[in-house]
Amino acid sequence: MAGKGGVGRSTLTAALGVAGAAAGKRMLVAEIGEPDGPYSPLARLFGRDNFPVEPVEVADGVDGCVLYARRGHQLFMEYVLPVRALAMAAMRSKALERMLVAVPSFHEMGVYYHLLTLIREVDGRRPYDCILLDMPATGHALALTGLPDVLLELMPVGPIAKAFREGQAYLNDPVYGGALVVTLPEELPVTESLELMEGLRETRVPVAGVIVNKIMGDEFTDEEREAMLALSERVPVYGRGRLVGAATARDAVETLRRGAPQVDPVLVPEFATRGAALTADIAASLAGGKA
Amino acid sequence: MSRLREMVESHRVIVCCGAGGVGKTTTATGLALAGARSGRRVLALTIDPSKRLAQTLGVARNLKEPAPVPHSFLVAAEATAGSLHAWMLDPQLVADRSVDKLSPTPAVAARLKANRMYKQLARMVAGMQEYTAMEALHGFLDDGAYDLVILDTPPSRNALDFLDGPRRLERFFDGRIFQLFLPGEKASFIGRAASNLIHRAMSGVFGEATYLELQEFFGAFENIMYALTRNALRTREKLSDAETVAFLLVTSPAPEALEDAHLFRHKVEDLGLPFGGFVLNRSLAAGVARVMPDRSMLGDAPTAAEISGLAKLRRLAELEWAAVDEDRALLAELTERAGPGAVALALPTFPDGAHDIGGLVQVARSLTA
Repeated sequence: MAGKGGVGRSTLTAALGVAGAAAGKRMLVAEIGEPDGPYSPLARLFGRDNFPVEPVEVADGVDGCVLYARRGHQLFMEYVLPVRALAMAAMRSKALERMLVAVPSFHEMGVYYHLLTLIREVDGRRPYDCILLDMPATGHALALTGLPDVLLELMPVGPIAKAFREGQAYLNDPVYGGALVVTLPEELPVTESLELMEGLRETRVPVAGVIVNKIMGDEFTDEEREAMLALSERVPVYGRGRLVGAATARDAVETLRRGAPQVDPVLVPEFATRGAALTADIAASLAGGKA
Repeated sequence: MSRLREMVESHRVIVCCGAGGVGKTTTATGLALAGARSGRRVLALTIDPSKRLAQTLGVARNLKEPAPVPHSFLVAAEATAGSLHAWMLDPQLVADRSVDKLSPTPAVAARLKANRMYKQLARMVAGMQEYTAMEALHGFLDDGAYDLVILDTPPSRNALDFLDGPRRLERFFDGRIFQLFLPGEKASFIGRAASNLIHRAMSGVFGEATYLELQEFFGAFENIMYALTRNALRTREKLSDAETVAFLLVTSPAPEALEDAHLFRHKVEDLGLPFGGFVLNRSLAAGVARVMPDRSMLGDAPTAAEISGLAKLRRLAELEWAAVDEDRALLAELTERAGPGAVALALPTFPDGAHDIGGLVQVARSLTA
């Protein structure tokens, strides 16, 4: 789940999780962070302050967890080091810990590996039918999706390369994985989401779809709208913000369709609800539509 | 004079932080213009890889150094008394320049820059952004070309990485620790057990060949990395001076954004950095006074579309009107939580957005009114 900050990425992640579970799928919602992080908007939507490292059920049929760099490092060491005691000792080493947090991109490698362990089959069975990852905002999301290729150039052989290739087999294959881009029906978010899609293509992450959040109900006929826009330009009236908003929303969705003709955007209406009630409303709207 | 105006006129650095999509860049740009209006030489610097700031100010992307914003912008903003440059941080460029500057000879610099591991690391966005931001800021504060630097940061969580960066580096380059990662002979005098453990673990994780290369890389860049860490710590210290630096928390009325802002404010204070206040964007508590749309506004012979349109507009107006009270209460709460000496300021939603210079000048005026 990718998109500019403030567009409702976490809300859509939660709603898709709930909608998937309602359709009988085993869902995991995840975000990058620390296990006892101070505040997580995604966890908040499930009535919690934060998510733990081990997935726990956060709603019917929906598990939640954080992807935690340090856990990834630990799991990776246990996987590649011949002796478990060595991995344990290494994780306790203050020197290694300091190195892992200081060297650029080692943090992200940990996150990536943690994700991989949740995708991998365990005893011939996938732990989840679908994992929804609430990514950071655009720039940092692209830094993450671009990481595997850069690292594979840096270390084309060895255990890390092997793990990244395994991850790419899932994440870069449209059969298994893809990015859902969330945006708002406004000029700036739409422009940025088009750039994001371009960036995702460059980092070989398939774009699975685009979701336009908070489509305002617009009951005006063209004639009425024009008359009221004219009125609101003469007199500073309440309501102008929403009137203009509804009009620009149509243009913004048009811009999106023109800019990315290969994906048909899913439109999610604006709801007055908040928190878990909002999640439920959006989930119901997604389940009812073509999404 | 408003507190924010004082800051713009006297401070050396103003850092804009906040959740995504709350209008950080717009606020940063407005402050930069306000600085230029008061006659200062301003640099608007963005370390957010989403690149919006430079674009908003009419400056091209991917520049090698800060570029002046178009003169017409300064004229429109009545800011010709000062100057305004904008730049989007280019991590690779900053890294290369540091190597040039910190190497004893150009030949050494060239050799270091040709290092395979360095070349890959330098073009890596993840993680490099934060370190090079500190180094770039160090340069701009040292060379005296600018009176005021306005820093536009990535969304909160990632902004913290940039503030924590210097300490992370320091802890790793702590003499005893770093020695453990250097090629064999250097490590030999340190506790054998620790060095042996690291060697076995690292070789297992990276593969023998890559770990050797990484060790060589650490060895070759030892001096440069020490110097970078020193610079970062010094810049970090400069950022803690409340007389010349302010961290502004930008937010919108959305509950998630507010929660982020409060959280970040505590984090800023925990790190010993000066909290400057809140800027509440898209607030209905600010802006021109509005009235309810009314039949009397339609003139003597309204059309059918005007009458039916008005009824629909009134429903929208009632929604907006109800939100005004909420936003006023919110501003009062922020003012109280900011405390004396800090800013709590509301900015309206600019109906046509603040994407052009006209909108930005409005923002600059509202910020320093």
